[in-house]
Amino acid sequence: MVKCSDKQLPGRVDLVCGAASGADTICPVYVGTCGYSYTEWVDCGFYPPGTRTTEMLDLYSRCFTLVELNYTWYQMARADAIGRMVAKAPPHLLFSAKLTRTMTHEVGTDWQQQVAQFRLGIAPLGKRLVAVLVQFPPDFDRSVAHRKYLASLLDALQGLPVAVEFRHRSWAVDAVFTELQRRRVILVAVDEPALADLFPTLDVLTEPSLFYLRLHGRNSRGWQSSNMQKKFNYDYSGEELHRLCERYVLPMARRAERGIVVFNNHVRAMAPRNGKTLVQLLEEQGGG
Amino acid sequence: MGRGFHIPERSVLHFNVADFAVAVERVKDTSLRQKPVIIAPLQAARAVVYDMSEEAFSDGVRKGMVLKQARRLCRGAVVLSPRPPLYQRAMEAFFREVRHYSPLIEYGQGDGHFFVDVTGTHRLHGPAPDVGWRIRREVVQGLGINPIWALGSSKLISKVASRLVKPVGEYIVSPGDEANFLGPLPVELLPGLSGRELEKLLDFQLLTIGAVARLDLRQLQVPFGSRAAFLHAASRGVDDSRVNLPGSGSDAIVLEHDFAEDTNDREEVRAVLARFAGRAGDGLRGCRLVTRRLGVWLHYSDGGHVVRQASRRTGASGEFLLQKMMETALERVWIRRTRIRSCRLVCDRLRRESPQLLLFPETKDREKKEIRMVAAMDQVRSRYGSPSIGVGRCYRAPVAAAAGCQ
Repeated sequence: MVKCSDKQLPGRVDLVCGAASGADTICPVYVGTCGYSYTEWVDCGFYPPGTRTTEMLDLYSRCFTLVELNYTWYQMARADAIGRMVAKAPPHLLFSAKLTRTMTHEVGTDWQQQVAQFRLGIAPLGKRLVAVLVQFPPDFDRSVAHRKYLASLLDALQGLPVAVEFRHRSWAVDAVFTELQRRRVILVAVDEPALADLFPTLDVLTEPSLFYLRLHGRNSRGWQSSNMQKKFNYDYSGEELHRLCERYVLPMARRAERGIVVFNNHVRAMAPRNGKTLVQLLEEQGGG
Repeated sequence: MGRGFHIPERSVLHFNVADFAVAVERVKDTSLRQKPVIIAPLQAARAVVYDMSEEAFSDGVRKGMVLKQARRLCRGAVVLSPRPPLYQRAMEAFFREVRHYSPLIEYGQGDGHFFVDVTGTHRLHGPAPDVGWRIRREVVQGLGINPIWALGSSKLISKVASRLVKPVGEYIVSPGDEANFLGPLPVELLPGLSGRELEKLLDFQLLTIGAVARLDLRQLQVPFGSRAAFLHAASRGVDDSRVNLPGSGSDAIVLEHDFAEDTNDREEVRAVLARFAGRAGDGLRGCRLVTRRLGVWLHYSDGGHVVRQASRRTGASGEFLLQKMMETALERVWIRRTRIRSCRLVCDRLRRESPQLLLFPETKDREKKEIRMVAAMDQVRSRYGSPSIGVGRCYRAPVAAAAGCQ
């Protein structure tokens, strides 16, 4: 069940990090989930019984201050619909918008037009847009053609806070990180099943203004399935979340101005549950 | 309504393959992909356009247009004879891709339209937008056809949404956003309007759906009488109609077939109608309904048509009784020698099967055998689809049509 946080900004933890100079710095970390509109979350008790879709965002924002909009992956962002959503959303809520699949998974010859449409579509998010998530599929490897496409896409998205998530491990090389750094593009850190060709979990920071960690769960068998219910069916244990904090969140927070941690294991409302646990852990680890 | 009882929001997907016959022909012959295509019976006198590609449409070709005129408008078009059996096979293949996702699937008359109600399937298959995307991907990979898909909280919303993205694309209307979505759209996009109603709306300068929605029921009743309630609800995005399996929850079962070439071969027509009687019976028994009237419509190449019926006061749903009724209706309707362009079988005056058992159950061996045989046929159909089995007279000619409910 949704419980209102006592704090002003739910799901946000200001981590106090010791800097090399000796002066403490503060890195606000926003925890959230990939999407918020799941009927299953009503069944599982995260939303109260009978919650309608129109009520979900308001209830969600009582627990979290950031949400990743994943429906913009399924269909092109439409300014009218996003404008209505933003108008109804509580003022503290921040957004990350996932780039539409026609520019990542099903790239057609008109992708440049798609970029232009996407820019217009997300315009109503304004300053509440924290990142544009560009997630490539596992078969998007570091071939010449793919590298050229990525370069053109990043050029076309210039001016937006772009975060790139690779699924293929061939992109995990220094040359890629250096180029992303030069372009001021955020490399998304991922936690996912330890499968042969998948991009490894790294704490590389390519853009100090933001770190972006996405937690997909570690369901190796489900990952092979095309069914989201199997792929993202994973419940992080307290121990696993603790290790993720130690190994990735805190080191990246020390180097970044702010951070996002997003849970994608939406099945049975595990994402918001794990998210709330992570917030508690971060608070214990030096957050305020 | 009891305390704690909630009506779940519905999630209805609509798939629409634009220019279905052309899309299927282009899968069979990839060289057609870059050319304008018109489908029309080439041998028929006064042939009219059955379907056309987007390119031909932009040149002004329309369904039902005389072929000569269509050819004049789109001179470079490739003209093909319709192959309804092929389109029917494509419909069946599409249905096979969709059926894993929901038991509630409604499909049109060989036209590439499918409604899939995925309400309540989220725990099994995931969120509805993901199901829509996956079905589309599977259809593209399996059949080489790229359907439009739209998601809404009702058939009306998903249908209007799919009309906005022709010839390819997707549209998701969030629950609660229906009125905002419909408001600015032209009133022509509202499904279910007759030509006269549309004309009247335009005469009143009600050009957008939102303009209609702003009128109250009493205001709408003045010009539209009994249709006001429909307009009032539809313009606000209210649509409670169910996604029905063919034959369930509707007033009639309608099955229609367009012959590839006009025909006056009675056996060919009989084979089609026999297959339809089988399918209608399958649908009726599946919903525990009986029909008290079976009608056969013949549409001729000269534009005329004849309708005749066979009735049964106690109703029928059994395969063999329906076949008899079909034979009677066909005997009555076969009065002209003109070639037939299409035929239609309609089972109406439906009512629930009596739950009461017979006082004197069937005693004759023949009746017992028939009942057992129909049960066995139903089992085969439930596993392999309706066209998988039928009585012998069905197989005189290949059949192509899809069931639709009106």
